[in-house]
Amino acid sequence: MELVYIITIFLVISIIISFGIGANDETMATLYGSKTLRMKELLILATIFAILGALILGEGVSETIGKNLLSVEVTTSIVLTILIATAIWLIVSSALGLPISTTHATVGSIIGVGLLLGGGLGINWLTIFEMGLWWILSPVIGYIATYFAYKAIHKVIINRLSGFRSFEKTEKYFSYILLGVICWAAFSRAGNDCSNAVGIVVGAGAGIDITLLLIITGLSLASGVVILGRGVIKNVGTITELHPSTAFASEIPTAVILFFGTILGIPLSGSHMLVASLVGLAKARRAPTSKGLWKIILIWLITFPAAAILSIAIFFPINMIM
Amino acid sequence: MKILKEKKNLLMEINKEFLTETIAGIEALHNATSQFINDKLNKNDLENVIQSEKRCDRIKERYVQVLFKDKRALPFLVEDRYKILMMVDQVNDKGEFFARFLQVYPFKLYDDIKESYKALCDSCYNTVKELINCVTLIETDFDGAYKVTFDIESIRRDARKAKFELLDILFKKKDDPTKIYLTSKLVTYIYEIASWAEETSDYLRGLIIKYPTR
Repeated sequence: MELVYIITIFLVISIIISFGIGANDETMATLYGSKTLRMKELLILATIFAILGALILGEGVSETIGKNLLSVEVTTSIVLTILIATAIWLIVSSALGLPISTTHATVGSIIGVGLLLGGGLGINWLTIFEMGLWWILSPVIGYIATYFAYKAIHKVIINRLSGFRSFEKTEKYFSYILLGVICWAAFSRAGNDCSNAVGIVVGAGAGIDITLLLIITGLSLASGVVILGRGVIKNVGTITELHPSTAFASEIPTAVILFFGTILGIPLSGSHMLVASLVGLAKARRAPTSKGLWKIILIWLITFPAAAILSIAIFFPINMIM
Repeated sequence: MKILKEKKNLLMEINKEFLTETIAGIEALHNATSQFINDKLNKNDLENVIQSEKRCDRIKERYVQVLFKDKRALPFLVEDRYKILMMVDQVNDKGEFFARFLQVYPFKLYDDIKESYKALCDSCYNTVKELINCVTLIETDFDGAYKVTFDIESIRRDARKAKFELLDILFKKKDDPTKIYLTSKLVTYIYEIASWAEETSDYLRGLIIKYPTR
């Protein structure tokens, strides 16, 4: 196949992948839920930080997908299969307005390809089980951490307020901090996600201008948020009633634990932690949670088999093209 | 953010204007009822109450217009403030209704109920005054506002006592049934203002409890 076709195919795939990741990005959800910003403003902000994150941070990060999890030799077809299957499942769940973990979808796809090519021996099960343990622990940690973070903020700050005006003032401060935290999260996430999408094109050995590539994937990431991401943002943002202070109580433990998890190499799921944090917040406030929560849990459970089936289904056509 | 702040300040100003007008309306009503008890009512004075209610309606409309002007995300607590405004507006409506009723009431008040009726009117006036005080306090001092809600409850109890004393006297009278019936309405309609003021204060207490300091 001619190099130009290969590059075009890889470029399209990287756009699809970044679109899928953007569509399932729930980073801005608590800003929406706490009415700090309107949806239109959120989307503009998401677009700006997606492009900035992609441009500034996207170049430095790279990831070898599937290398530690598969016992079979990782070829370009396998990497593409994993990424496309993951992107498809991300787009499907985003169209349903449900947040999933990109890592879960990726591992599901890896398991599918591994089983297809190497049977039971094609997968490094020990690593999968290790990761699985953290996936179970991620929401539990998020739930507990937010529960106590809320209680602490409540006791130290909120409990000392009196009158609507002092509440407004305090909530306003929290809304600025929340905005800062989330902008930073969106910025770093865009950098990380774009690098994954760009990695395959760069890996193809094409001489495309990397800056142009990062702008394209940044725009694609932003398009994902703008076109399909509203449902996810709305659903996560309305899991429980949020104010800037309570949104902050749920975001901060998630951000801190994810940060240390990344440093220690622990594969925690940000989406699961945030959703569990919001449920923990509702519990701490004795407030109800939204009725659609079961749908989110259901999609978490079916993400593995669905991504695995998808990767099995698309492996052969991709392998033929490659 | 700047637009949001400007909008918030505008809402606060309108809210303040609304509460001031409500006080003016209830004072006008109180003056009119005092004149009525002393058989010196100039029915044109009741127009002040009606006009005041109309002004409150205009202010309320302005508030709603500002609130939904650009469908921007609501600043924190605006929903609660909106509900309070609407509930206080009911006090104005009830006051206006009573003023209109008094305009067409064709009799003079029985001499033997004048004192109790004055007590009822005073209680009504005081509940509304305290309610406005509570609405103002809730902005800066939950504890103070919480205390006032109990004061309102206590004044409303006095009003209820006066109401039933009055009805007891009226229902034992052997006079023109129309006069007795319409006078009993005069009692119940003014009592409803105090009763609604208490209901509004109950809502305010609920809000204070909802916020974490209670």
